[in-house]
Amino acid sequence: MNISEDMVKEIILEVFQQMQGADAPAANQVAQAAPLQFREIGEAKPGTDRNEVVIGLPPAFGTAMTQTIIHIPHRDVLKEVMAGIEEEGLKARLVRVNRTADVGFIAHEAAKLSGSGIGIGTISRGTTVIHQRDLQPLQNLELFSQSPLVERETFRAIGRNAAQYAKGEHPNPVPVRNDPMARPKYQGLAALLHNKETQYVKPDMASTEMTVQL
Amino acid sequence: MAQSKEMNISPDVIAEAVKRAMAALGQESAKGVAANNLNGTLDAQRDYPLAEKRPDLVKSASGLALKDITLDKAVSGEIGFDDVKIRPETLEYQAQIAESIHRPKIAANLRRAAEMTQIPDERLLEMYGMLRPYRCTKQELLDLANDLETKYQARICAGFVREACDVYEKRNRLKR
Amino acid sequence: MAKRQKRFEVLAERAVNEDGFIKEWIDVGLVAMDSPNDPSASIKIENGKVAEMDGKRREDFDMIDTWIADHTIDTAVAEEAMALDSLKIARMLVDINVPRAEIVRLSVGMTPAKYVDVLKKMNVVELMMAMQKLRPRRTPSNQAHVTNVKDTPALLAADAAEGAYRGFSEIETTVGVVRYAPMNALSLLVGGQVGRPGVLAQCAVEEALELTMGMRGLTHYAETVSVYGTEQVFVDGDDTPWSKAFLASAYASRGLKMRFTSGTGSEVQMGYAEGKSMLYLEIRCVMITKGAGVQGLQNGSISVVGVPGAVPSGVRAMLAENVATVLNDMEVASGNDQTFTHSPIRNTARMLMQFLPGTDFIFSGYSAVPNYDNMFAGSTHDVDDYDDMLVLQRDLQVDMSLRPVREDDVIAVRNKAARALQAVFNELRLPPITDEEVDAATYAHGTKDMGDRNIAEDLRAIDEFMQRGTTGLDVVRALAKHGFNDVAESVLNMLKGKVSGDYLHTSAIFDENFNVVAAINDLNDYEGPGTGYRLEGERWELLKDIRAAIDPEDV
Repeated sequence: MNISEDMVKEIILEVFQQMQGADAPAANQVAQAAPLQFREIGEAKPGTDRNEVVIGLPPAFGTAMTQTIIHIPHRDVLKEVMAGIEEEGLKARLVRVNRTADVGFIAHEAAKLSGSGIGIGTISRGTTVIHQRDLQPLQNLELFSQSPLVERETFRAIGRNAAQYAKGEHPNPVPVRNDPMARPKYQGLAALLHNKETQYVKPDMASTEMTVQL
Repeated sequence: MAQSKEMNISPDVIAEAVKRAMAALGQESAKGVAANNLNGTLDAQRDYPLAEKRPDLVKSASGLALKDITLDKAVSGEIGFDDVKIRPETLEYQAQIAESIHRPKIAANLRRAAEMTQIPDERLLEMYGMLRPYRCTKQELLDLANDLETKYQARICAGFVREACDVYEKRNRLKR
Repeated sequence: MAKRQKRFEVLAERAVNEDGFIKEWIDVGLVAMDSPNDPSASIKIENGKVAEMDGKRREDFDMIDTWIADHTIDTAVAEEAMALDSLKIARMLVDINVPRAEIVRLSVGMTPAKYVDVLKKMNVVELMMAMQKLRPRRTPSNQAHVTNVKDTPALLAADAAEGAYRGFSEIETTVGVVRYAPMNALSLLVGGQVGRPGVLAQCAVEEALELTMGMRGLTHYAETVSVYGTEQVFVDGDDTPWSKAFLASAYASRGLKMRFTSGTGSEVQMGYAEGKSMLYLEIRCVMITKGAGVQGLQNGSISVVGVPGAVPSGVRAMLAENVATVLNDMEVASGNDQTFTHSPIRNTARMLMQFLPGTDFIFSGYSAVPNYDNMFAGSTHDVDDYDDMLVLQRDLQVDMSLRPVREDDVIAVRNKAARALQAVFNELRLPPITDEEVDAATYAHGTKDMGDRNIAEDLRAIDEFMQRGTTGLDVVRALAKHGFNDVAESVLNMLKGKVSGDYLHTSAIFDENFNVVAAINDLNDYEGPGTGYRLEGERWELLKDIRAAIDPEDV
């Protein structure tokens, strides 16, 4: 085997980053992740590009709240979802849904704005839905209802699957995880977080087109 | 059915005629049929469960009696899905049973249901969707009420939709 | 801390300390039974209509106030009921000399705030007493969850069969992947009738899809038709009291039994509790259900249990909401259906509140699969707890509707269910269930013992199955064609149940001979010792005969 010095350096660097990444949640128990730099473009309009997937976010996402219930920074959430979409050769478009903090309605709004008819809705604590324009608001293509079980890889896979639906493919759904003990541990906290989330909702405001610096 | 042969009428013909007559009865308003029965109302203690105590009253949407819904007929294809559907008269009878044990709200629900038996599945699902928040304008809901009344003789349901329309308008839950 | 006290170290490791507890946050409604923001009880009737309710004038009513005022409250008794002192009503609820009928007559005249005022005055033992007396059906019963994380059909059928065989009178499934719903429904339809003829099956999914499956005769009843206690949350749930009541009638129009679902904590979880207590908002749900003419309600927090479970008096509030339901003369499916705590002690204590008095469905439901396969995110108790439950019944002489079973009988019933479903799949052009799958499902603990299916192929076939308009009658034919005549007969009998409509009534279930047992021909007649349902006679002989008991003759 022929290992160059550069390769070793790269591997060490990668391992180092991974270790930092793994440590991050514990270190972030108290400290909040940094807010995201969003640029608002104006009222969101239905897209015409069939190669796009729209990601819908509630008002507090990345601003008043900056990490999921298991401390994944919102920056990483968006990075992963967008990377998943791009892996499939499609484009991600960001929209802030101001009028609700309900993940189903946010995802449905995203789908209705999406040129491909496929949208993703993610709320601050990490609950996520993949949606399709012509379904009922509270139906879905895939639902990740237990926010403590939605991890970085899940976000990446969600992006990938959404893009595949947008291309008219029939992907295998992202494997559903089930942890009966997530509820007793997290549900009270989830309620607390959601009440914070809804305080930023503006019921009469249209959705906003955005870009983000990651 | 030996005697029917003597009269040169096949059992099938009779069955068919009875079925048609029963189906025709099914078109009548549920209340009208119920009025012909006993003192006009059924009683929980005396008549419930209907399948056991009043099998004479229980017929499927197509007019078939319970005892005529058999596995053999299901397998041979003689029975279709309409033969295992409830009909409006039965819902009216059950509404009377509910009333007789002081459950008027259940009776009201069953009477709305009796009207809905005349509405096809797809259309009924569509109507439910129209009553969800922000789906319809005022006019669309009023049109729905008219449709219920004129097309399906569903007067109670029509009133119910008009009432909903009124509330949705006040609470700003109509299509924006 | 510099140096830990050793007992505190041990305590810190105890299961209960993994649970999340939160302090009350009254402004947003993170409070169980008693918020200063709850209104005071009042009513004014003008010209036969409610003009004022709980301190609010009609012109200020929201959608839910309007519904309750116009559809639920019986103005003929409202003034009489509201004039009664709340403490007096609370005492009537536990008084064996006041018959159930008298209480039910008055309860329809009470406002939501009045209910809260009455229930607040009762401790858990008194609430249990009220439950024992007021639950509509004389004979208590039980419901099971039958799901799995792979949505694998042979296992669903086998688990449905075992659950039905063990004594659950209703079985409920839901999905991991939404598009599997019709196949899961089909698996329970067939498996359930194999286990015990007459068992009722449902598939909990989005409202319109759930109704569609019922219309096709693939399910027998529906339950997950959610209602909420604030207007904003109701609308976020994409419905109104009118749309939900319309849906309820739509079910009845197809001869299908149904109940609504609600639970303390859902409003605050969805972020719009208006600072009201969880119980006050839940009472509004109970009264919405009553006004819709729906025969019953599933409540006891249900999927939100972690929220009331995290605040003081939350478990008491869950019992109180069950009592509010039966006080409204409605069937109650009383929760105990979601993982609620890491602590086995806490878990069982919570369940005793419904088990001891008996309810229409003590669990809604008990996990008839291992909790790792429970797609309602786990129930309080699962298959591994069966023997504990049998012993609890025997210890206390209280009926949980479960019976002791023999291993070989369970193997037989599981195997037959999987084979019957295999035949139905074959006939209805669904991707085959292999003999290996049948065998695995027969002996499995859960999906960890099952292989993977081709999901994409299953989903395509399910879509076609629905497009072809397949009905319950096709299932009957398929079963008969492959020699499963007894199962075919049972599936057909369940269809006939929809023709007579007898099981649309309060608390209705079927026995194994398809006789309906409802709160009409089996109305609760509890009036103190010596009355009401008693676990005795043949039934007691059956339940006390557990496997583990040593026969004196044998020693």
